[in-house]
Amino acid sequence: MEGRRIDLQDLLFGLFLMVVAAFTTAATWSLRVGTAANMGPGYMPRAIAVLVLAFGLFFVVRGLVAPFKGITPLQPRAVLFILLAVAAFALLVTTAGLMIASLVTIVIAGFASRETRPLETVLFGGAMAVGAVLLFVQALKLPVPVWPW
Amino acid sequence: MLRSFCLLAMAALAGATLQPSPAEAQQSFSRAVRIVVPYAPGGTSDILARLIAPKLQEEIGQAVVVENKPGGSGNIGADAVAKAAKDGHSLLLLDVGTLALAPSLFPDLTFDPQKDLAPVGMVMFAPYVLAVNPSVPAKTTGELVSYAKANPGKLAVANSGIGGMNHVTPVRIAKGLGIEWKNVPYRGGAAASRAVVSGESQVIFNGVTATMPFVKNKQLVGLAVSGPARLKAAPDLPTFAEAKLPAGDAGTWQGLMVTAGSPPELVARLDTALRKILAMPDIATKIEDLGGTVKADGPAAFRTWFAENVKMLGEVVRENGIKGE
Amino acid sequence: MDLFTNLALGLATAVEPINLLYCLIGVVIGTAIGVLPGIGPIPTVALLLPFTFGLEATSAFIMLAGIFYGAQYGGSTTAILVNVPGETSAVITCLDGHKMAQNGRAGPALAIAAISSFYAGTIATVVICLLSVPLSVLALKFTAVEYFSLLVLGLLAAVILAHGSVMKALAMVLLGLLLGLIGIDVSSGAARMTFGVAELGDGIDFVPVAMGMFGLGEIMANLERPPVRQVVSQKVRDLIPSLADLRAAFPAMTRGTLIGSILGVLPGGGAALPPFTAYAVEKKVSKNKAMFGHGAIEGVAAPEAANNAGAQTSFIPLLTLGIPANALMALMIGALMMHGIQPGPQIMTEQPQLVWGVIASMWVGNLMLLVINLPLVGIWVSMLKIPYRLLFPAIALLCCIGTYGIANSVFNIWLMLGCAVIGYFFIKVGAEPAPLLLGLVLGPQLEENFRRAMMLSDGDFTVFVQRPISATLLGVAALLILVLLSPTVFRKRKEALAE
Repeated sequence: MEGRRIDLQDLLFGLFLMVVAAFTTAATWSLRVGTAANMGPGYMPRAIAVLVLAFGLFFVVRGLVAPFKGITPLQPRAVLFILLAVAAFALLVTTAGLMIASLVTIVIAGFASRETRPLETVLFGGAMAVGAVLLFVQALKLPVPVWPW
Repeated sequence: MLRSFCLLAMAALAGATLQPSPAEAQQSFSRAVRIVVPYAPGGTSDILARLIAPKLQEEIGQAVVVENKPGGSGNIGADAVAKAAKDGHSLLLLDVGTLALAPSLFPDLTFDPQKDLAPVGMVMFAPYVLAVNPSVPAKTTGELVSYAKANPGKLAVANSGIGGMNHVTPVRIAKGLGIEWKNVPYRGGAAASRAVVSGESQVIFNGVTATMPFVKNKQLVGLAVSGPARLKAAPDLPTFAEAKLPAGDAGTWQGLMVTAGSPPELVARLDTALRKILAMPDIATKIEDLGGTVKADGPAAFRTWFAENVKMLGEVVRENGIKGE
Repeated sequence: MDLFTNLALGLATAVEPINLLYCLIGVVIGTAIGVLPGIGPIPTVALLLPFTFGLEATSAFIMLAGIFYGAQYGGSTTAILVNVPGETSAVITCLDGHKMAQNGRAGPALAIAAISSFYAGTIATVVICLLSVPLSVLALKFTAVEYFSLLVLGLLAAVILAHGSVMKALAMVLLGLLLGLIGIDVSSGAARMTFGVAELGDGIDFVPVAMGMFGLGEIMANLERPPVRQVVSQKVRDLIPSLADLRAAFPAMTRGTLIGSILGVLPGGGAALPPFTAYAVEKKVSKNKAMFGHGAIEGVAAPEAANNAGAQTSFIPLLTLGIPANALMALMIGALMMHGIQPGPQIMTEQPQLVWGVIASMWVGNLMLLVINLPLVGIWVSMLKIPYRLLFPAIALLCCIGTYGIANSVFNIWLMLGCAVIGYFFIKVGAEPAPLLLGLVLGPQLEENFRRAMMLSDGDFTVFVQRPISATLLGVAALLILVLLSPTVFRKRKEALAE
């Protein structure tokens, strides 16, 4: 790949840092900065944001002039189902209870891999749900409903 | 398929209408009662709640569980109780002085402590001891005041965090006496104590149990104690009033609250149960071990106390521009 | 000699059958909750507190202490096996411990973690006996000025531990500092970057971030790279570390123990500094630097030793000054008060049996942990035989429950989800999350101490070089920057990476 430039890793990381710096500055705009001797709550966020911006610029420039380096291709399946599983748990745990939330989370997470066998996952999810309730609610007294009712 | 669904839906509807509405006053506790402690485990409120929970369980005949909901200076847990079902099954045990400060400190508060929460009863009052690092040339409160007047801005008062009684007290005293000192915030009372023992800051207002051991060990010099009377443990320390210090009511006030609008019968039962529990000698001993005294005031006195403090603390906060950032 | 009378009294107390029993209960509970991510020692101790009211104070305290250091043992197990750090201290163990497991050396990794912890626990017990008093004096010498300098040094150490680009590690530390700023500012009470979310008022908790970036991030990355995880599920025959392993690990353990013992005493340093610092030092002095981050046994031994030594010496300020070094010690003070014991500077003279009994019980408890944990290694490793298609949903579920459990907050689960997305992005762009976590943990303290030091000195920056301890620490930090940025080192690092 001689001749091709752009280190995608550096470039993306640099852009990310610049976005974070801009966002931080915007979010802390109304806070008092103060002086070095008597700092307000806005002093440190602003100072760090400037540094982050500098790093961001550094990586963007380095990424543009460096020899080509790609990033490994995204596999949306894994990412999507893991995130969906976590989201399902967040939505269900206090409403439908730990038992159902655990089962649903395991089953959805199972879709993230192509090797998953549906029946096995459902059975395993059921066992994990019972185990989680026994361990966390019965033994460790985690204050969370077990069932929706 | 559709038919069975319709049947189910009808059954559900019927079930819903058959259930008594909360307004129709349940006469007794129908399920587990929770005491929400809006701080991490291990603090005074948490210990009190865990002391009271098993006794309350015996009194009301239902399981009583303690639930820690820390965060947001106690406001997250308080909000959870304020917004809970108005059925008397959600209680809140917390530092009510801090709660009284919340409306003036946090303009975006998501609940109104006076409207959304109702008092069950005060539980405990723990006075503050005023102590200084031995490097401060003052053996009495009078000497401390004249030293502070002669050296404005030199003394640093350690407090256990912005927006607590412990932070407002030195502000009130400075204003009352016309002195000027730095208010240095720390993360919690223990960090503040350490700072004054090491001499990083010089003055502290803190609980009896946290402070007196250092005074006995001559690592701190005790000057005065808040509250109505001298301490049994340290009878030679004058009260704030005797030492001519303002803010004599300063200290930690712990109280039990319930969701506002809960059935009055149940609140009355909780009040009776709480008074009975606080009259038990073993509870009184444990509360003394925590550096306080039992305050079994009941809802009416609590309500008055709370309203007065919201007003008074609000004025302190406004006049001194605390949280003017 | 006084020391021996004290130790004899302590040992006699610790080996009383009733105390042995409670010590055993404590370390078993501790190990169990340490293995479970999210359920830390603090809620467990709080939960058990009421049950200890009926016990004698010494037994109660021995049990509660056992939970604390037992949890440090257990935490490393989860970190090594599935790359989920349940505690700050376990983040570092993830780096090389999990790599060892991926290389099929989970057994030796777990065994070395247990042996290092026992070794450190033994030495730390001696340190507590001999040096409590001078060390507590040192702890009081640390004011805001010294803390600031120590934290600067600690954050720079984070850069060493990254095995990728120095610049990326620095940028990650800064991102961590920014995350740490979220919440209500301790010095002014102003809410920063909370966007009206009350849950953010106390700042971002470490656990959701760590579980999102390490636990869930690792799962997503693993699912993308089939060959790597086949190694994880590989049957492990060698459970016992070889003689060569032990020889490599021993000096690392010793250095880790020393570092942990000193840093553990300083209140506020928290559980993060000792293992991070020990790892950084080890990476600098080790002969096979190239192995670090790829399964170096020293990279497990040193932080585990430092972690356990620090956990034990963090009792020193409590036992000698009555000042808690961390949130858990504050809880212990509550426990003492409930037993009618006034914690404070005179506790050592007034309650010698309690103090020395607890100290001696730590050594006894560490021995128990070693005996319990070494045979367990086989069982833990056999867990890796569970097919990954079942293991990863289970890990995801444990992350969810654990994250919810730290503050009973659904918000934290969403936070973990967000961190998983960002963590996935970091994996894609080759940025390591460990320095970010250190920044997140130390950032708030850095700012707090800096501003406090400035406030107390009326804005005089020279205080940082006027005080000897602070000046020394900053000197070391400056030296470190010079070494890091000198071109020769850059070249060396590149060579090392190329290998």
